[in-house]
Amino acid sequence: MSDDSNPLMMLIWILPIILFVFYGQQIQLFVTSREIKKGIEKLNSFREESKNELIDYLQKNLKIQNDSLKKIDRFLDYFTIMPVDMDPNGIVDKVQHTVRSREDYTRDHVKAMSPGISDLELTKVQTLLEIASSLQMIYKIINHMFLTAKKQNNYPLILPLQMILPFIMEQAEAMKDAIPAFKSGQPVGDGIGPMVVGKMMLEHKKENIAFQTSLTKIDFEGRKLFLLKAEGPGSTVGRPADALEAIISENKLDAIIMIDAALKMEGEDSAITAQGFGAAIGGIGIERFQIEAIATSKKIPIFSIVVKQSIKEAITLMTKEIADTAEDVRGQVFEMIRENTTSGQSVLIIGVGNTAGVPQ
Amino acid sequence: MIFSKKKITTVCTVEQCVKCGTLTKRKFHDGDVLFKESSKCNSCDGFTRIEKIFGETVEQ
Repeated sequence: MSDDSNPLMMLIWILPIILFVFYGQQIQLFVTSREIKKGIEKLNSFREESKNELIDYLQKNLKIQNDSLKKIDRFLDYFTIMPVDMDPNGIVDKVQHTVRSREDYTRDHVKAMSPGISDLELTKVQTLLEIASSLQMIYKIINHMFLTAKKQNNYPLILPLQMILPFIMEQAEAMKDAIPAFKSGQPVGDGIGPMVVGKMMLEHKKENIAFQTSLTKIDFEGRKLFLLKAEGPGSTVGRPADALEAIISENKLDAIIMIDAALKMEGEDSAITAQGFGAAIGGIGIERFQIEAIATSKKIPIFSIVVKQSIKEAITLMTKEIADTAEDVRGQVFEMIRENTTSGQSVLIIGVGNTAGVPQ
Repeated sequence: MIFSKKKITTVCTVEQCVKCGTLTKRKFHDGDVLFKESSKCNSCDGFTRIEKIFGETVEQ
């Protein structure tokens, strides 16, 4: 008897076909679920780790008692409801108000937990708190999406999660790895802008122009330079847009040069510099909007120099390659000033980014 | 991974003498921040300033 007519062999062929026709999606759901579950377990460990690091820092460095530490759980679960955008008119002011209210609230409550806390320590705690609450939020959202798909036994529902999970994991891992640098007050990759401008500000008079933002005025080959950066060495990005508003109210600017870290594309090398036009500043968009609005109304050209890096490099300890670009970028700034302005004009130079470990 | 090598990151501080420009590299100490005048130069009587703080990763 040949294999073709063997009933047992036919069954062996037909059974898997029937199985895959009726239960294919469930099998795929099972396989995908296992992978996603592993990712979620990792996210949970990142969340726990960041929370423990924060508590450990508060106990060791600020001697905060256990009663006060209970508040940390409440902080971590704090959410921000963004304003309604059905009518986008005036949305930027509303977003700015919401975001700044949250920052003020966190700052005040950390101060209340440790009344004698220095400004430097305060910025460190705020950053650690931000990392821990972001990781908590990521874990909760991904877990929610996963459990909903499982509950409904719905394979298509789990597909978008499978697609976005590698990107989410990359960001979460970068945030987890950023903790040691912020705890020790070391510069991160994003601090390259403040590092470039900070050195130019050394040995010159500094003034506080806006909240956590420092300004120095110097002369360079007949031009007046306004050097601006977040006030270091605390972990803050300052408020460059508010500072620009204050500067422009009393001075005429002929050019703005912004130096920032920028995300590199896949395949691009790290720590390469590029020049361009437009406001080089990340974040939620409030600062960029304000800077662009002022520059447009006063017809000031904005030039930018960026140092390319990955998301992980931007928020973790600065790499040697990125640190090595500082001198070259400083040279590019001076070259840009010479090429685009003439003697007697004024230029604003903004070192954009987190200034942890970078004073001025 | 079974065959992946363990990566260890060392935090380094690079100091430069303000007077003679000599560069020295050492391990990061708590309290180090960029541009801080940190120690006396070994080559001359000038002071050194922290120029760079960065991480160097080696595979083991």
